[in-house]
Amino acid sequence: MAKENVNRRDFLKVAALGATVLTGMRIANRTAASEATGSSPHQWVMVIDQAKCTGCGQCTLACRAHNDVPPDISWNRVIEMDDVGEKKVFIPRPCMHCEHAPCVDTCPVGASYYRPDGIVMMNYDRCIGCRYCEVACPFGARAFNWKAFTEPNPAVPTWGQPEVERRPRGVVEKCSFCYQRIDRGLALGLTPGVDNDATPACVVTCQVGARKFGDINDPDSEVSQILAETPYFRLREDLGVNPRVYYLPAREEVS
Amino acid sequence: MSILSRRISVAPIHLWLAFLGLLILIGLIGGFIVFTQGLVVTNLSDLVPWGLWITIDLSAIALSAGAFLLCAAVYLLGLKQFQPVAKTATFIGLIGYSMAVMTLLLDIGRPDRFWHSLIYWNTHSVLWEVTMCVVLYLTVLMLETTPIIGQASWMRSRWPNLSVWLSGLHRYAPYLAIVGLGLSMLHQSSLGAAYGTLKARPLWYNPGLSILFMVSAMAGGTSLTVLITMLVGRLSPKVRVNDQILGKLTIFVGWVLVGYLYFRFWEALSMSYTYQPGRTEGLSLLTKGPLALNFWVGEIILGAAIPIILLLVPKFRNNTTARMIALLMVVGGVIAYRWDVNISGLLVLLAYLPQEIATRYTVYRPSLIEFMAGVGVIAYGAMAITLGARYLNIVDHREFHETVVETKPDFAGTD
Repeated sequence: MAKENVNRRDFLKVAALGATVLTGMRIANRTAASEATGSSPHQWVMVIDQAKCTGCGQCTLACRAHNDVPPDISWNRVIEMDDVGEKKVFIPRPCMHCEHAPCVDTCPVGASYYRPDGIVMMNYDRCIGCRYCEVACPFGARAFNWKAFTEPNPAVPTWGQPEVERRPRGVVEKCSFCYQRIDRGLALGLTPGVDNDATPACVVTCQVGARKFGDINDPDSEVSQILAETPYFRLREDLGVNPRVYYLPAREEVS
Repeated sequence: MSILSRRISVAPIHLWLAFLGLLILIGLIGGFIVFTQGLVVTNLSDLVPWGLWITIDLSAIALSAGAFLLCAAVYLLGLKQFQPVAKTATFIGLIGYSMAVMTLLLDIGRPDRFWHSLIYWNTHSVLWEVTMCVVLYLTVLMLETTPIIGQASWMRSRWPNLSVWLSGLHRYAPYLAIVGLGLSMLHQSSLGAAYGTLKARPLWYNPGLSILFMVSAMAGGTSLTVLITMLVGRLSPKVRVNDQILGKLTIFVGWVLVGYLYFRFWEALSMSYTYQPGRTEGLSLLTKGPLALNFWVGEIILGAAIPIILLLVPKFRNNTTARMIALLMVVGGVIAYRWDVNISGLLVLLAYLPQEIATRYTVYRPSLIEFMAGVGVIAYGAMAITLGARYLNIVDHREFHETVVETKPDFAGTD
């Protein structure tokens, strides 16, 4: 009987020790992952005007060059939709950089995370390639590297020069709002959305000015101005994920 | 003469093991190709990122559920008569979980980073929780299996002291049963929740998946345990099996299946009652689309309806053949359910465009390499259980009087 009691006590001791270790690991880990989203003074958004988009696809090519994306992956797809009046309407689809991103919620290792400025980022060194984020993303914005991309990038140098490292085989990748251009631009004192060197490649390359980029926290930015006076929509607003990509619908009078 | 007699004695079990060995070899070749060339050799895509291997993973976990159920029954509810079956179930659970780990290693893009899931935590992710459950419960199963190895006759005769030490872990069986019950129930239902919490997928997004995964695992896990016990009892002349205990367990399976059909019915009705884009189309994939045969025949008729009759009507239940067929059907039904859940949700393409009215579908058929690697994992499981039955005595109902209470076994000094 006495033996039994000792065993039970031992068991509880082991359980308590285990719980302490687990809690400790949890606290140690918390610092590494996401800093609170929205803590930066800048909150980047993209505005895409469907009335202006001609579906030329140059944004996709510029994106492939600047981010060294393989030809079978599109971080930024241009999808054809129904006509409005006489005009074909397209919907370019980058990552929505959701405020409540299902990919960040679901990633088991925290490889998808929020930057303080709202960009949903990938830590390619941490991703284990389970593809749960791909299954969870409502917008099909994520692509898996099924094979290694070793060939020369056909979009380089015509559409630009790579600014980030190529992703290895076996990880998931997606649009990053060209964070590298934003960060470098800010360091040089430039303004993303105004100065081309600080603005995402797809926005810079668009010949018809269908894409705008900027800080929604700055009431004087172009994106804030547009969204204040033009009707807009976002994809799957019913899901409540709060995308940072806004669309201006195609309007007959503009076309 | 001696050659002839040797040849005869070689026959059935060795042929079986050789056959499994061949399949494992095929699996190793498949696995080697996957690890060297990457997942491009599969037919998985960005639209269907999870396929055959996830189904094997989910099924292996579900069919391991006998372990926690029977350990809980024996050590927590005090139903000591089931102790020998709990031993079988624990071993099957250990093998099932190790099969799941193998398919996960195949399936992730960076198997070299599998340890990331242990040190980098996103506690908000259901998959993180699932990973923790796999790791911790696998540990529990190893500890629960240790006394089985300790009590094997060859261990007792060759290393008596080690045998006593390993068998001594049996003292902790009740505590392990508590921990195992918590982890395993959490794990089984979380696998459903891994799908059920994804709001982008209307077919999956409901709380019913957790319950259905749990209930179907209870039926499937117990069925496989009883089925393997009966098979070993029939094939091995040394083994004695207590048919009365197994009969009780099959009644349990029958009633669990009734519960499963009940939950499934209300889930399906709630999903079909009002039209919702994606959800209604997803369900129609099952009821009248390409998965209809799987759903109606595999899951509902053979997987649940007929086994309910065969297992609950005494005339059929007491017929060994009918009972074994019924148990096999339940196991098949659980696998069919896992396949259907995973694939039906993925075949319906995401609709995120404002004017998208018509729902579109995609297709998925596993590649040869996926089959090769998958068959290898299953053959490993079959071989491990065969060897366990042969050398670890995992199925034997004769010795159940001697265990449970004893801590320092008497046989320590006999050698």
